[in-house]
Amino acid sequence: MIDISSQLESLALCLAQALLLLLAAPLVSGIVKKVKALLQNRIGSSVLQEYYDIRKWWSKQTILTPYTSVVFRLAPCVYFATTLAAACMLPNFFGGQAGFGDVFVFVYLFALGRFFMTVSSMDAATAFGGMGGSREVYVAAFVEPVIMLAILSNVLHTGSTSLSGMSLSFDQVNLTVAGVLTCIAFFLVLLAENSRIPVDNPDTHLELTMIHECMTLEYSGRLLALIHWASQLKLLIFLVIFSMLYLPLDLPVALKVLFSAVMVGVVETLNNKMRLFKVRVYLAAAGLMLLLAVVAQ
Amino acid sequence: MLVKPENLRGAANICSGGGKHPLAAMFGADETLRGGGLAIYCLFYNAEKRSLDVLKTEFPAEGPFNYPCLTTLLPAAAWYERELHDMFGLVPEGHPDLRPLVLHESFPSDFHPLLKQTPVDCQCHGRREYEMMTSTGEGLFEVPVGPIHAGIIEPGHFRFSQAGEAMLQLDAKLFFTHRGIEKALEGKTPWEAMPIIERICGACSVANSLSFCQAVEKLSEAQVPYRAWLLRTLALELERLYNHVGDTGNICAGVGFSPVISMGARLKEYLMQLNELLTGSRFLRGLIVPGGVTMDADDKILEEIDDVLKEVEKVYADMVHIMWEQANFVNRIRTTGIVRENTAFDLAMVGVGARASGIARDSRKDMGFGIYDELDFDVVVEHSGDVEARIKVRVGEVAQSLSLVRQLIAKLRRNADTELQADLGQLRALEGSWGISESARGDNIHWLLLDENGRLDRCFIRSASYPNWPALTVAVQGDIIPDFPLINKSFELCYACIDR
Repeated sequence: MIDISSQLESLALCLAQALLLLLAAPLVSGIVKKVKALLQNRIGSSVLQEYYDIRKWWSKQTILTPYTSVVFRLAPCVYFATTLAAACMLPNFFGGQAGFGDVFVFVYLFALGRFFMTVSSMDAATAFGGMGGSREVYVAAFVEPVIMLAILSNVLHTGSTSLSGMSLSFDQVNLTVAGVLTCIAFFLVLLAENSRIPVDNPDTHLELTMIHECMTLEYSGRLLALIHWASQLKLLIFLVIFSMLYLPLDLPVALKVLFSAVMVGVVETLNNKMRLFKVRVYLAAAGLMLLLAVVAQ
Repeated sequence: MLVKPENLRGAANICSGGGKHPLAAMFGADETLRGGGLAIYCLFYNAEKRSLDVLKTEFPAEGPFNYPCLTTLLPAAAWYERELHDMFGLVPEGHPDLRPLVLHESFPSDFHPLLKQTPVDCQCHGRREYEMMTSTGEGLFEVPVGPIHAGIIEPGHFRFSQAGEAMLQLDAKLFFTHRGIEKALEGKTPWEAMPIIERICGACSVANSLSFCQAVEKLSEAQVPYRAWLLRTLALELERLYNHVGDTGNICAGVGFSPVISMGARLKEYLMQLNELLTGSRFLRGLIVPGGVTMDADDKILEEIDDVLKEVEKVYADMVHIMWEQANFVNRIRTTGIVRENTAFDLAMVGVGARASGIARDSRKDMGFGIYDELDFDVVVEHSGDVEARIKVRVGEVAQSLSLVRQLIAKLRRNADTELQADLGQLRALEGSWGISESARGDNIHWLLLDENGRLDRCFIRSASYPNWPALTVAVQGDIIPDFPLINKSFELCYACIDR
């Protein structure tokens, strides 16, 4: 029953979609920044600033400390590659053929990228890097089970473990108790996973308070560009999943992504960063909501 | 009171009155050109006499230059004695931590810049030991931060000894950009010194010039005109306002609470533009001179000040409301970075830091300098000693300052004097004189002595940040390192003030 041509077509569509997401990712991050700036009564930088930054880093020299190993150079590439691979697995919003892979692979692709980033954060043996790595793992340890719960709730709802299958059998507006709880909880996890306020602050210059940014302090040039680009792509992937699977609005996907990007900006402005050790309480709350959602189904 | 070096400790004990009169400052002077030797002066706050008590000890020119240290008796003396050791080569015996304070490892250990024999333009090369305080043990590690920081701030190296996220110990290496201002002032007339005095620090230009001018004016029989005092006080309160308002917003940058950060920045800008309108300088420079002030404020300017302050009061109330409404923010600041009252007492802290820990020290009330006695205001005191208390003290003081400025505007409108400056005449030479004023960070103390030609023989500057810096290293203990920027900002300590 294997139809090679339709498989190839599906693969091509997935790749095209991943590339489109990759190209759009800096714009979405730029929009989040712009929203935040406007809400703070600032004009802010252009929404295209993230593209300029990537171009700038791309043309700059990469400086490596002599104490780093190959892991340090490898990690940004792995991080970028795993994130791009995850982008390929998203439900196909061109319609038609479903994408491939199941949610467990999807979640652990991110885990693989994170593993390499945390290992590389300790590679240069600076105090900030180690601190960032340890905090990233601390947050991840709480994020991972919560994401799995969010997905489990969807698996129960749709009866499929592939993201595409979920999206196909997902009725567009799920305004049940379970649906709303999952939506809120996934948004909380989205903020935590993408190093956003109230868990982390992507805009701060205060190294001592950083989580994700702390791990990238030793990077420069193209490696830094890869990390930033991958992080922007990761945010977009989460926004797409949130929009397609969880957000109970009957709108085109692109509009829903835009809406959730604005929401991220609004929530980030309205909140301040919480105490580091309170993050587990925050994620436990998200987890609890998801448990309730699962039970409600 | 003049004592022998070996009796300094006993005399200091008497002067401090069992803690009733905390140590305000301690500094040296080289009196060899006047036939003396080296001298140490200790200043003690005396709130009953509304004055500073001066205790002096003299070392013969040929030495010996050691004396029993005061630090073990009065912990507040720790930094002063280290600075005396660097600048004059005076050795406090029994000092628990006699590492260099001002002159780091790139200076030779026999280099003492404030001795008269050291020329002002001398070149020196050498090395000395400078070890940061560290810790060793299973699972402990260190985090070095600075001296170059990510933000646009001045240099300081912080060494954290960590057990995981918990800060066990913090050692701060400061004074990287020591400018030798005290040395540079020597040989200048008070009037020549004014532009330098105003530029010691951006955030307390008025307080520094006011302390200096009061010290100069004490050496003259002339009286500073009343209207000049009204304008000086107005400037001092406007300076407090722009600092406190800006600092309130800036503290929120420690937790990424952006609406309040931008509101604080906007209000600070309004206030600084007001400063420019009043004096032509955003930092209120050029207004205060020995003997009075250089410019008047007409009714139009007073009207404008009144209008802007109304707007500032409104937006600031909003800003404070947003802060207290945000449970997540209050959670961050409550019980964070506690300085207990006895610590604040031992370190003789000043300003917001002291008042947030339950010590009602405010030189506007205690010393009653200028015309503060005829103005109506309260000293704002909080007792919890944490970041929240320091914010609350600032919020309370903004309200007090707004009321003070309004009282001053009313007085200025009623007052029809035109005299702004008094001629100070011949200033008394060879007589030590001090001046004090309350900056936004606490009291700034200047002490000076003029030679026979009316030029500065010695000018000592103690800004409010000096006694408060060591408190920061105490406040962080037991907190976690991601809270450090928040704690640090709640003190809002100044580097320039100590790099004088």
